[in-house]
Amino acid sequence: MLAKRIVACLDVAGGRVVKGVRFENLRDAGDPVANAQRYCREGADELVVLDVSATRESRGAALDTVARVAEAIDIPLTVGGGVKDRDDVARYLEAGADKVAVNSAALADPGLIERCSERFGAQCVVLSIDAMRVGDGYHIATHGGSVPHARDALDWALEGQARGAGEVLLTSIDRDGTRSGFDLDLIELFAHRLRVPLVASGGARGATCFADALLAGADAALGASVFHDGDCTLGGVKAFCRSAGLEIRT
Amino acid sequence: MEVPRIAVLALGASNTANICTGLVRAGGAPFAVRTPAELEGADALVIPGVANVAFLIDALDAAALREPVLRAIASGMPALGICAGFQLCFEGSDEAPGARGLGVLEGRVETLRARKLPHVGWNRVEPLAPDFAGGWAYFAHSFAVARGAREAVALTDHGERFVSAGRRENLLGVQFHPERSGAYGAALLEDFVRGAAVRC
Repeated sequence: MLAKRIVACLDVAGGRVVKGVRFENLRDAGDPVANAQRYCREGADELVVLDVSATRESRGAALDTVARVAEAIDIPLTVGGGVKDRDDVARYLEAGADKVAVNSAALADPGLIERCSERFGAQCVVLSIDAMRVGDGYHIATHGGSVPHARDALDWALEGQARGAGEVLLTSIDRDGTRSGFDLDLIELFAHRLRVPLVASGGARGATCFADALLAGADAALGASVFHDGDCTLGGVKAFCRSAGLEIRT
Repeated sequence: MEVPRIAVLALGASNTANICTGLVRAGGAPFAVRTPAELEGADALVIPGVANVAFLIDALDAAALREPVLRAIASGMPALGICAGFQLCFEGSDEAPGARGLGVLEGRVETLRARKLPHVGWNRVEPLAPDFAGGWAYFAHSFAVARGAREAVALTDHGERFVSAGRRENLLGVQFHPERSGAYGAALLEDFVRGAAVRC
């Protein structure tokens, strides 16, 4: 049976790991390669590297970081941030990414998802969605999570899936960096409707909340600052999830 | 013992860098192959694949590599197909209707019958052959060969049991990514490199 995944995320800018609350007030959280190796050793099932600076100037630095991280680990690596077109996806793959996440560029040009999926296969294309609660539902948030978009987040996820995305990386903007636990309503809503794997992100606090996210239907749960700051370890989270009856890789 | 030279097919949509890193860690000397001439002098062959199989078949034929690759496999050279590269070794695939696979393994690649697709993440490789080791491996695919294939040496369960490893003489194919499968994948690559070293 397919195991549930615990994923460690490195937000990078200018060759360093950074972390902020709701994508703001970024602060330094160390060297990406050292962090990646540590998480790999501690039992992470996957690493995500997101280029949060994502400007044209930063692209070279991000590619270099991805290549160095990819070379240092023997678990899967998903990369995102600043992907504008299919060539950007190809460049990240060549640098050593196993999967590439697309976000705002796909929103502006949904055909990008099809073009990437046809070329690299659906298993390689991750649709990254930043969702924020608006009324009774969830809307997409753009511009690093600061601006709500008119589009319903679930509706967009289903369109992305139909266009060939092979996974959805779903970040709750309301919870991101707040350590108040994952948004379980959001996870349940998406897990119930999607047929591609769902990676839940935003709000990770401790071992129990990872298990809650997975039990709510996420196929993987992602943490960043909760691991950077040593609030909990990958090994501890995985042991707890296993004790909660979840299938977890040993 | 000499370090074996391992030809890694680079067909334009594959994670050549990662498989090369894995082969170096395993003690091999990988090099990327884009033309038939570059295949000369290899001790072993790896067909990787993070790609749509239809794209992979087109790229193989566009590079005129189909016959050289078939000759290399027929020569007894150790060969390893990974993910879409494994699927390429079969006769055909639902992902590329009408296109011809290499046909060195018997069977056809079909869409997995599972509620959640693609099959992405870590799953157990359960050996059928006594000389093939099992363990946790990383998968990322939607297509696979159903159980019962003649050359199957391991199965994995996702909705149905499918062939996660197949072997025919010198050709081993795996549906997972050994270069991304931690210690289990590393051991598999070391075995492969050791087999190649015997020949050089």
